[in-house]
Amino acid sequence: MLAIGKSTTTAHRRYVVRTMSFMGVYVLLNVGAIFGVFDAIRGTPAAWVFAAAVSAPILGQIWATLSLMRDSDEFMRALTAKQFIIAAGVAMGVFSAWGFAESYADAPHAPGWFVYVLFWAAFGLISPFIRTTR
Amino acid sequence: MQNRLKLLRTERGWTQEQLGQGLGVSRQAVNALETERHDPSLDLAYRIAALFERPVEDIFTNPYG
Repeated sequence: MLAIGKSTTTAHRRYVVRTMSFMGVYVLLNVGAIFGVFDAIRGTPAAWVFAAAVSAPILGQIWATLSLMRDSDEFMRALTAKQFIIAAGVAMGVFSAWGFAESYADAPHAPGWFVYVLFWAAFGLISPFIRTTR
Repeated sequence: MQNRLKLLRTERGWTQEQLGQGLGVSRQAVNALETERHDPSLDLAYRIAALFERPVEDIFTNPYG
């Protein structure tokens, strides 16, 4: 998910494999839920387990990103950290603003899981403009 | 940070990729150093100095003196 240039390092290849794996599970579970595969557990304690299972790949993705940073050189590490922090700030800021708009301005409800989508959208948008570690 | 990295590299006929391999960093890192988009850590500055067999201040301009 990180747009960090045409790096072909071992660390980057590992990151791509990990990302594809975690996001594959994330998409698979969500597509299954959309097509009703898990309808039988809706409203039961098992649904809580399912919610945790869908979210687990997100933690995995964060771990994959941290691993990439650990295994990268100092420039890529600093650049990724800067992009990550700015994207997280944008996502939190926008989602919080929307939350307050829901509370005070009757804005339509946005589900909490949308913040993750928002984060990567922000990451994709800001990354091409953040090319310095300063 | 102002530096003579590109000059020293081209004097030796190295590509950014080759210099990166010598330093143990990516080509992107070398490019960022040459275009002053990244200030190197002390460790990397010493690695660069060792590779070019020059004192650090021959390569990087000391902004404080």
